[in-house]
Amino acid sequence: MSTLRQHAEHLFAHELDELKKSDSRQRPTNWNLSPWAVSNYLLGGKLDNGFEVSAKYIGNRRVIEIAVATLATDRALLLYGVPGTAKSWVSEHLAAAISGDSTRLVQGTAGTSEEQMRYGWNYALLLSKGPSREAIVPSPLMKAMEDGRIARIEELTRIPADVQDTLITILSEKSLPIPELASETQANRGFNVIATANNRDKGVNELSSALKRRFNTVILPVPATEEEEIAIVSKRVAEMGKALELPSEPPALKEVRRIVQVFRELRDGQTADGKTKLKQPTGTMSTAEAISVLNSGIALSTHFGDGTLRAGDVAAGLVGAVIKDPVQDAVVWREYLETVVKERDDWKDLYRACREMI
Amino acid sequence: MIHIFGIRHHGPGCARSLLRALEELSPDCILIEGPPEAEAVLASAVHAEIEPPVALLLYCPEDTKKASFYPFAEFSPEWQAIRFGFQRGMPVRFMDLPQAHDLALRDAETGPTPVEDEGDLVVSSEESLTGDPLDWLGRAAGYGDGESWWNHLVEERRDGDSVGLFAAIQEAMTVARAEFPRKLNSHSSHREALREAHMRKTIRDAVKEGFQQIAVVCGAWHVPALAEMPSAKSDNDLLKGLPKVKVAATWAPWTYGRLAAASGYGAGVLSPGWYEFLWRSQTSDASQRSIAWLSRVARLMREEDIDCSSAHVIEAARLSDALAAMRERPAAGLEEINEAIRTVICMGDDAPLRLIRSRLIVGEKLGRVPPDVPTVPLQQDLEKQQRGLRLKPEALAKELDLDLRNENDLTRSQLLHRLNLLGIQWGEVRGTGRGAKGTFHEVWQIQWQPEFAVSIIEASRWGHTLVDAASALAIDQAENAISLPALSSLVDLVLLASLPRAVEPVIHALENLAAVAGDASQLLEAIPPLANVFRYGNVRQTDSSLVGHVLDGLVTRVCISLGGACASLDDDAALAMRKRILAAHQAIQLVGKDSHLSDWMAALTRLAVLGGTHGLVSGLAARLLFDGQLEDADASSLRMSQALSIGNDPAPAAAWLEGFLHQSGMILLHDDRLWQTVDAWLDSLSEDHFTRILPLIRRTFAEFPGTERTQLGTRATRGQTAPAIGATTSELDWNEDRAAKPLAVLERILHL
Repeated sequence: MSTLRQHAEHLFAHELDELKKSDSRQRPTNWNLSPWAVSNYLLGGKLDNGFEVSAKYIGNRRVIEIAVATLATDRALLLYGVPGTAKSWVSEHLAAAISGDSTRLVQGTAGTSEEQMRYGWNYALLLSKGPSREAIVPSPLMKAMEDGRIARIEELTRIPADVQDTLITILSEKSLPIPELASETQANRGFNVIATANNRDKGVNELSSALKRRFNTVILPVPATEEEEIAIVSKRVAEMGKALELPSEPPALKEVRRIVQVFRELRDGQTADGKTKLKQPTGTMSTAEAISVLNSGIALSTHFGDGTLRAGDVAAGLVGAVIKDPVQDAVVWREYLETVVKERDDWKDLYRACREMI
Repeated sequence: MIHIFGIRHHGPGCARSLLRALEELSPDCILIEGPPEAEAVLASAVHAEIEPPVALLLYCPEDTKKASFYPFAEFSPEWQAIRFGFQRGMPVRFMDLPQAHDLALRDAETGPTPVEDEGDLVVSSEESLTGDPLDWLGRAAGYGDGESWWNHLVEERRDGDSVGLFAAIQEAMTVARAEFPRKLNSHSSHREALREAHMRKTIRDAVKEGFQQIAVVCGAWHVPALAEMPSAKSDNDLLKGLPKVKVAATWAPWTYGRLAAASGYGAGVLSPGWYEFLWRSQTSDASQRSIAWLSRVARLMREEDIDCSSAHVIEAARLSDALAAMRERPAAGLEEINEAIRTVICMGDDAPLRLIRSRLIVGEKLGRVPPDVPTVPLQQDLEKQQRGLRLKPEALAKELDLDLRNENDLTRSQLLHRLNLLGIQWGEVRGTGRGAKGTFHEVWQIQWQPEFAVSIIEASRWGHTLVDAASALAIDQAENAISLPALSSLVDLVLLASLPRAVEPVIHALENLAAVAGDASQLLEAIPPLANVFRYGNVRQTDSSLVGHVLDGLVTRVCISLGGACASLDDDAALAMRKRILAAHQAIQLVGKDSHLSDWMAALTRLAVLGGTHGLVSGLAARLLFDGQLEDADASSLRMSQALSIGNDPAPAAAWLEGFLHQSGMILLHDDRLWQTVDAWLDSLSEDHFTRILPLIRRTFAEFPGTERTQLGTRATRGQTAPAIGATTSELDWNEDRAAKPLAVLERILHL
């Protein structure tokens, strides 16, 4: 039997070992590595003994440094950003590198209850022997406190506000009261929380300012350069094409470049040459969406076309990705078509294909 | 003994170390890298009323375009050295290549260059040609750039070993100069050789005069060149026979914004506000210092209503220390502090940081100069033009009628417009000549106020000539403008004032703002002034193609968003929108581009469909289509009968009619079908409805000229079946009785 997906600490166990061996810097209590080595694990690089650590996060070094320094100061870390910017990925690898264990995880949903954050009861034991330490079923958070490890909370803002606020005591007093036993669990050194949340969703539960104050917020940015993004998109499209067993040719770099450019221009609110400003649509225009536009284009061209990706195949996906709000975004998209796409001589096919869609 | 202190211009750490070193050394002569011509006005540096940031301004009185600024802040080492010297009564000399030669060389070899590239009192600007050697050294030490490396090692250091510091700087620069020979173009390297030769010459002269302890203050880059003295003869040969111009010097007020590199000023520092803080803070404990800075930040945030508690400050200070430790730096610098502020206080958001940058890190300080400094070149430029145009500054108000076809008058008008842009309200336009005088007349009321002298000094920071200053100011305003109509009229002003250099940036700003403006009425309002410029720009010799491009974008955007902007208007808004659409329509016709017209007409066609928008607007759209001959009388009468048909509520129908008739009843007189439709509609109204819409109809018809109303009345008395005017041949077919019936009603309606 092979696991479909392995945890980071298993997948990169070798790298973590090597880093540990060569890491001579001071480690905070209960940390497996020094902060310096943790950031090297995420960003990749060559160790003194020549061992090559692969990069887990491609982007700004400072972002990771701030995240690691935050965890070292015992303030909790909130990774914030638009969907598809590797927040959970970074959180998993940070936990793996610091605690050697990324599985102390609470997935935030609208139905996350206080028991999942604090502790539940083993009711059979509770009924037969009465309340006792043995009858308590600890949450991942509580276990992390006892072991002095990192706990992770995914999608913090989806958790109802009253449940969120149970975190306040844990984060400020580093203790979890158990009123039923008139006792408490105090966190050991090395305990900390990494939470992720996305800042694009509407109708989520905003953090209370008391809770906000206990987190240091690090925003993970969208890819900084066009080249970086094109590399990410073509790599992922190729990988996913294999997974979906699409027989067609990998898309021409030209089409990838064009789609990435459309996404970047609309996301940044200006053309690539920086000369013209543009209105921004309400959607995220994330890299992940660019990947899916290309994927659906390939599927279209494979099943209904001649297998070569053309402007007409991506147009439908493109329009769908941009126009999330039928009124506002339609204006944005039409302006973009008429003032930018139309003007570019080698984009005529895309212009015509998109005009037909409206 | 010659002691050379290599500094970084505007470095507070350098200034502190320099002062300490000067005190230890107590020299008898101070030589500073700066233009020798300025020595005459140097004494003002210790004047009670001078307040940095200020700039030494050297210019050629015959041609004020040739000028250089040498800015100083309170924390500039040169500034401190000058004051140190004057307070102790020792000779202070400037040793750089005289500007008399420098300005002349600039003219001879490179032609006119942008003036601001030349105020190079900063290491980084001199080195910018092939990359800053500081950057090389910084990268070698593992920093991101030279700026943060230098800040950490020099500007933010606290220990007292100033002699060691300067020795280290000298060593670093000697290596840098040897290892990274700069590939300058011939002009720059020649200029650098000349400058260093002159510095050495000045040092030799000082030695000859018998000074014992000579302190030399210069940019770090020049230290190696001054430490090794070649023969006096070679330097003298180099400096022989240089061209010369006349040069005058004065002081001008400066701002931190212009001192910062961010404002596009080549020779600048990134963070004047932070440097001032470093200079003023007396504590030697680095973490105390970052807490003091953070509490300033906290105060600013609270003033701006952003939550920031003491706990935030504490946490930010801890994080910045942790970051510094992780990066193996002795203390948190500005970079670490900024990152901590973003993470702890701003929830990762960048917007508050931008506020901190402009208000604290750069700062908004404006300097002041004593009133007795010599006049600035801007003043001289103005006086020259006043003489040339025979416009005397008089305190008595007087009227001036300018004929713009006349060269002299046109220049006068441009001068007054430029001054207005600069906030010097010498003249005020009292209207363009009307009637017989035509549009090429401008009537001004001019009156000179004594306080303009101060305004001119203030304005002089924008440039040395009126054209330069007004252009720079206009560009600055354009970059900070937030309203589209304001920007559009700035374009107009810039053209009136004839500032060719500013036209492009202002128009570019307009283009950018138009692209993100969501308000179609703003876009509509921006079209007419631009169309005017486009159509009549040539009268004032401006380039209309630039405007044409912006106009294309504006019209396209308006046509896309017009429908949305006209949805759900109330009566007042519809009236305002009618005005805007009319103005834009005229403007678009004035420009007369086919692509505009077809887009615009298509947009109007969408508007003309009744029900989507206010009746007034939709009626107007139908009328404009009819006038533009895009729709013939058949289509229009179809529209009218739809609008006025029984299924519609009478109020919108009346509004539609008002919009369609558009202040003139001629169309009714000329087209029989339209007349019939209106007539039939009025006839079909019930008593109740009729009373309700009567005021509307009356208002509509009351706006028509009297003769039209009479004709309409005559027409009405002729009855329904009568053909249109011109077609009437006889009156024999009249049925007097029937014709008389609606007469009384129509008389009431038409207000006869």
